[in-house]
Amino acid sequence: MIFDPSRYVAPGIGGPQGFKPIRKNIYLPVQAQVQEVCRENDLVKTFVFEFGDPLVNQEFTYEPGQFMMVSMPHCGEAPISFSSSPSRGGSFALTVRRAGRLTTAMHRLRPGDTIGVRGPYGRPFPMAELAGRNLLFVAGGIGLAPLRSVISFCLDNRADHGDITLLYGCRTPADICFADDLEHWRQAGVTCLCTVDEGDGSWPGRVGLVTELLPEVEVDAASWRALVCGPGVMIHFVVSRLLEMGFPRAHIYTTLERHMKCGVGICGHCFLEEKLICREGPVFSLNELDDTRNL
Amino acid sequence: MLDSFVLAKDHLLPFLRKLTKEYRLVAPVRNRHGDTLFTEIHDLDRVEIDLEHQPQSSLKPFFFPQVEVLSMYGLDQDAVTGATWYSFYPQLPENRPTVYFGVRSCDMMAVMYTDMIFLQSSEYDVYYARHRENAIFITIGCNHPFANCFCNATRSGPFLEHGFDIQLTDIGDRFFVETGRARGVRLRRQWSYFFRDAGEEDKRAQFQVALEARGLFSRLVHVDLVTRILTRREEPVEIFAELSARCQDCGGCAYICPTCTCFTIHDQALGDDRGERLRTWDACTFSGFTRMAGNHNPVEPERQRIRKRFLHKLLHDVERHGRTSCMGCGRCVDICFGGVDILRFIEMVSENETEPEERP
Amino acid sequence: MTNSINEIEEAQVILVSGSNTTRTHPQVARRFFRAMDRGARLIVIDPRRTRLARHAHIHLRIRPGTDIALLNGMMRSIIDENLIDDLFIQMRTENYTTMRDMLFGIDLAQAAAITGVPEKTIRRAARIYAQAQRSVICYCLGVTQHIAGTGNVQSYANLAMLTGHVEQEFTGVDPLRGQNNVQGACDMGALPGVLPGYQPVADAGVREKFARVWGVDLPRNPGLTLLDMTHEPSGAAGLRQAAPVIRGLYVTGENPLLSEPSLNGVRKTFHQYDFLAVSDIFLSETAQVADVVFPAASFAEKTGSITSSERRVQLMRKAIDPVGDSRPDDWIVMELARRLGYVMDYESPAEVMEEICMVTPIYAGMYHDHLDRGWGVQWPCGGRDMEGTQYLHKYSFARGRGRFEPAVHVDPAEPPDSDYPFALITGRFYFQYHTGTMTRRTPILERESDRPLLEMHPDDGHRLGLQPGDRVTVASRRGRCRFVVELTDRVEPGNLFTSFHFAEAPVNELTIDASDPVARCPEYKVCAVRLEEAEPC
Repeated sequence: MIFDPSRYVAPGIGGPQGFKPIRKNIYLPVQAQVQEVCRENDLVKTFVFEFGDPLVNQEFTYEPGQFMMVSMPHCGEAPISFSSSPSRGGSFALTVRRAGRLTTAMHRLRPGDTIGVRGPYGRPFPMAELAGRNLLFVAGGIGLAPLRSVISFCLDNRADHGDITLLYGCRTPADICFADDLEHWRQAGVTCLCTVDEGDGSWPGRVGLVTELLPEVEVDAASWRALVCGPGVMIHFVVSRLLEMGFPRAHIYTTLERHMKCGVGICGHCFLEEKLICREGPVFSLNELDDTRNL
Repeated sequence: MLDSFVLAKDHLLPFLRKLTKEYRLVAPVRNRHGDTLFTEIHDLDRVEIDLEHQPQSSLKPFFFPQVEVLSMYGLDQDAVTGATWYSFYPQLPENRPTVYFGVRSCDMMAVMYTDMIFLQSSEYDVYYARHRENAIFITIGCNHPFANCFCNATRSGPFLEHGFDIQLTDIGDRFFVETGRARGVRLRRQWSYFFRDAGEEDKRAQFQVALEARGLFSRLVHVDLVTRILTRREEPVEIFAELSARCQDCGGCAYICPTCTCFTIHDQALGDDRGERLRTWDACTFSGFTRMAGNHNPVEPERQRIRKRFLHKLLHDVERHGRTSCMGCGRCVDICFGGVDILRFIEMVSENETEPEERP
Repeated sequence: MTNSINEIEEAQVILVSGSNTTRTHPQVARRFFRAMDRGARLIVIDPRRTRLARHAHIHLRIRPGTDIALLNGMMRSIIDENLIDDLFIQMRTENYTTMRDMLFGIDLAQAAAITGVPEKTIRRAARIYAQAQRSVICYCLGVTQHIAGTGNVQSYANLAMLTGHVEQEFTGVDPLRGQNNVQGACDMGALPGVLPGYQPVADAGVREKFARVWGVDLPRNPGLTLLDMTHEPSGAAGLRQAAPVIRGLYVTGENPLLSEPSLNGVRKTFHQYDFLAVSDIFLSETAQVADVVFPAASFAEKTGSITSSERRVQLMRKAIDPVGDSRPDDWIVMELARRLGYVMDYESPAEVMEEICMVTPIYAGMYHDHLDRGWGVQWPCGGRDMEGTQYLHKYSFARGRGRFEPAVHVDPAEPPDSDYPFALITGRFYFQYHTGTMTRRTPILERESDRPLLEMHPDDGHRLGLQPGDRVTVASRRGRCRFVVELTDRVEPGNLFTSFHFAEAPVNELTIDASDPVARCPEYKVCAVRLEEAEPC
C-alpha cells in the first residue's frame, strides 16, 4: 500500500497562512445542574440535568444511544448514556449504577448541585433506519437506560413506528429500574415482559433468563428490528438466540460499554479490535461485530 | 523535485545561532552521562549537539507531554442551600516558535502520525495543537542505521521525501540541504547567505549516501509479511500468550514509542475545594487500561497483554491509515525488561512463513 | 551481591530463591530473561508459582520455611554424585568436615517429606546447579524473613562454596536488596552492631578512629534492632536481655505502624514513648501519630548518593528545589543536632562524603567527583583513582577462608494448625511499593492495584464458597484484617498470600513478631491464620 503523506499533515500546519484560530477545547466540561433525582433501586438513580448556561440549553441536542462524559469533583470523568429522549427537550437524564468512586459520588448529588459534562459523544441508534419498523427491545438490568431513551423517543413519535415490544430481565426484583416507566409504556401500548433470574417471596412475575421470553413474543425476523443492551454475557446469549430466530445480523443493534477517557477517539482506552467504541460506537449493528463472546 | 542546497559544516553552528535569536531551539544533546536526548538549548556554546547517536527519546514529549494540566477546577458551596458549584478553568500550554533540529526520519514520520491522531480525529486536540503549531523541523537522514533500526522495513527512513521543513544529508564536509514545507523554504530564504545551490556533484554524493545507507541495515525485518499474515486473521494466539507471560507490565514500550498516543485523564486534588485535571501517558499493556468499574476486563491480561499493541501497530493502523504506526526506530527493543519488543514479535510471526518477502 | 547485576546475563544456571524477581526487581529479571535467551537454565525455589516460576526449567515449590531442608538435600545429593569442587573447598574454605558429616546424616526422603518437593526433583536441581560452570544464586526476602533466616542464608553460601560457585565473574551469591538504598543504609552503619563500613562498635580501635573525627565518645555496646525498638521487651519476641528503656524515637523514611510485624504490639510500644518525631515526604501512618513531623524533601529535591544491590554507589543530583517547606534529610539532621547542642556544619553532601571516605575503608574512594565520572563505583574502592570492584571475594574471601556453617531445618514459629489452618505468606505487589506512602498517591499505579487482594487457591475458594472479589476477614492469634479474595494457582492449597501495602488492610495486624535470633529479622513469610466471615462482592 502506498503511503499518502497528505493524510498525515494537519490542515493549516506548516502552511504559510499559519494556524487556524483555536477551536473549541474538547476537554473542557460545562456546568450542568441537577434538577431532579429519582431513585430507581438501591444501586441505581436517575438524574435530570439542565445546563447552567441558558444558551447552551437552547443549542444542546443529542440522539438516543449517545453518551456524555461526566465529571465529578476529584473523581475524573466517566461515560454515561442518556436515558432520556431528546424529544422531551430542555433537559437530559442520566441513569447511574453505583459501582466505582465517581458513580458513588454521583449518588450523593441533590437537586441544585453542579456537575461537569461534555458531549454528546458517540454514534447513536439509527433512528431514521428504525422508522417504520416494529421494534423489539431486549434489556438486562441497567442496560435498559439507553433503550429507555429510544423507547421514549419512539413513543413521542408514535406514528413513525410499528409495534414495540420490550423484554426486560434483571437479576432480582430489587434490581428492576424504571418501574414507573414500564407501567407508563404498557399503558401506551408497549408489550412489556419482565423476568428475574432469582425471585423473592413477593415477586409475582416470571423467573428465568431473558432469553426464555423470546419464544413468547410474536416477532417476525423480516419486519422487526432488535435493540439489545445489557451485560456482555447477556448480549451474547440474546444475540445468538435472535440469530437462530432468523434475524439478519444487520437488523440487530446493541450498545457497548468500555473504559473511556476522552470520548472522542483519541485516548485509545475503549478499543474493540480495530474499533474505538466512543467513535465508531457505542451503538453497533451486529454485522459490524465479528465476535460477541467477549463484549 | 525539491529545491536543494548545500550548507558547509562550518556554517552549521552559525546558522543555528541565528535561529536561536528568533526561535526556541531543540536538538539532540549528549549529556555528561553519555545519554543523547532532545533538549532545549539555552547556550549553544555549552552543549554538545550529537548527530552521531540515535536520541534515546523521541520528540513525543514536546507535543504530548508525559503529564499535562488540562484544566484547573474549583468547588464551592452555597451557604444557604448547600448546593455545590463546580467550575473549570482551562490551562492552555504556551506555543513558542520552535525549531526542532537533528530530527531523524522515523521521528519526523512519528510526528506526522501523531498529528493525524490528535488533529484529524473527529475532534481536535487544542493542547497538542498549541505545542505543535509553531514547530519547524530540520531533519537529518541517517547515513548509518543504528543497531535496532528497521525503518527501511517500515518505510519511514532512513531518508524522507516529504514531511520535513528542511532535510539535511551528511555528505562529508558539508550537508546536502532540501527544503520541503513552506516554513523550511522561508527559513532558508531568511538566512540564504549560509547556503549555496547544490551542484551535480552534491546531488550525486547525496544519492550515493542514501543508496549506501539502505544497504547497511543489519537486520532483515519482515514487517510487510507480518502485516499480511495478520490481515489473513490467523491470530498468533500462542505467540501473544508467550510474550504476554514475559511482559513485566512496565509500560516502557508505550512510553518510549514515538507513536503511542494513549493517555488517561485523572484529577489531582490540591485541596478540598480545588484541583487539577491532568492527562498522563498510558499504555494498553496495563490491565487497568481496559478494566471497567466492577472489575470486568474485556482483555485477558495473562494471555493478551501485548496483543493490542502489536495488532494496533501492524494491522489496525494499516487498515485505517494505510501504513504501520511502527516507524522502525527500535527504541522499544532496548527498553523492554522481558524482551517482548516488536522485533521479536515480527521475527516470531514471520519465522515459519515461507512466503517470499517483497522488497520495498 | 558478590556479583554485578550485568554478570547474571552470562550465567549458565540461575538459582532464584524467595524472590518474585519479575515483580520486585524487574531490572534483575531482565538479565534472567537475557541469560535464558542465551540458553541458561532457571531454577526457582518458591512456595508460590510466581510469574518467574512459570518460566523456570525447575520450580522447587517448597513449603514455606523449608529452605534449609531443601538445600541440605541438594548438597547431600551433590556429595553423593561427587559434584563437589574439591580444590576450591581445600584451598578456600574451612570447617568442611563438620559440614560433610552433617550432610551424611541427611536423608533425601526426609528432605522430600519436609519440603514437599519430590526426591528426584531435588537431585535434578542439585545436578544442574553443580554441574554448570557459572551458576548464580539470587535470593531475596523469602529467604531472610524467617526465624531460620540466618541458617537459610548460610545454607546458600554452603551450597555455593561446596561447588566452587563464588569468587569468580558470573557466579556467586547475590542477595537482592529491597530498596534503592537499603544497601547504602547498611553500609553506613544503620545496623545495631557496626559503624559505617561494617566496622564493629565492639572494636576499641574503630571507636577511637570515629571518636577523633566526631569529637565524642562512642558507646561500646551494640544498639537495638528495629524489632526491639518497636516491640515491648516482654512481647513474644522475647529472647533479649534487659533492654534499655526507650523514651523517644526519631523515625526517618520508615513507616513502622504499617510495616512492622504484629502491629498491635507496635502500637502499644509507641504509646509508651514520651516523644515521637517522624520525617517523611508524606504524612505516613506513623507520621500521623507523631509529636513532631519534619517534612522531608524527595529524592528529586536533594543531592546525595545511593548504593544499589550490586554495591554500586551512585550520585543523585538535585533536579528541582524542595517543594513547600520541605527540607533535605541532611539539613533536618544537622539542624536537629545543632539544637541538641552538637554542631554539624557540613557545607554540602559532598563534604559529608569526604568524611565517609576518610573513615570507611570500603568507601575510601567514593568522593563525589569520582562518582560523577561514570555510572558510579562499586565498593570496595580503595581510593579516588581506583576502579571499584566488579565482584567480591576474588582470590580470597573477605574473612580469609570461607567457613561452612552447617544449618539444620527449623519449623516456622507458627505453623498452621486446626484452629488456624492456613499459612499466610506476605510479600509485595508489582504496582505498589512498601507501605504505599508514595505509590498509593500515584493515580496510574493506584488504578492498577488499589485493592488489598488475598491470593487463595481456587480449590480452597470453592470449598469455602468464595468468589473472586468477595471480601473476607482473616484472623490470626494477634489480630484480624479484611481482604478481597483473588482465586489463583499462584499459591498452593492451604497457603494464602497478600501484601502490606494497604493501610485499609494492614496485614501486619496478623503477622508474628517471632524472629531470627541472630539477625532479629521477623518471620513475615509465614504465620497461621484462619478465615472468618465473608461478604460477597
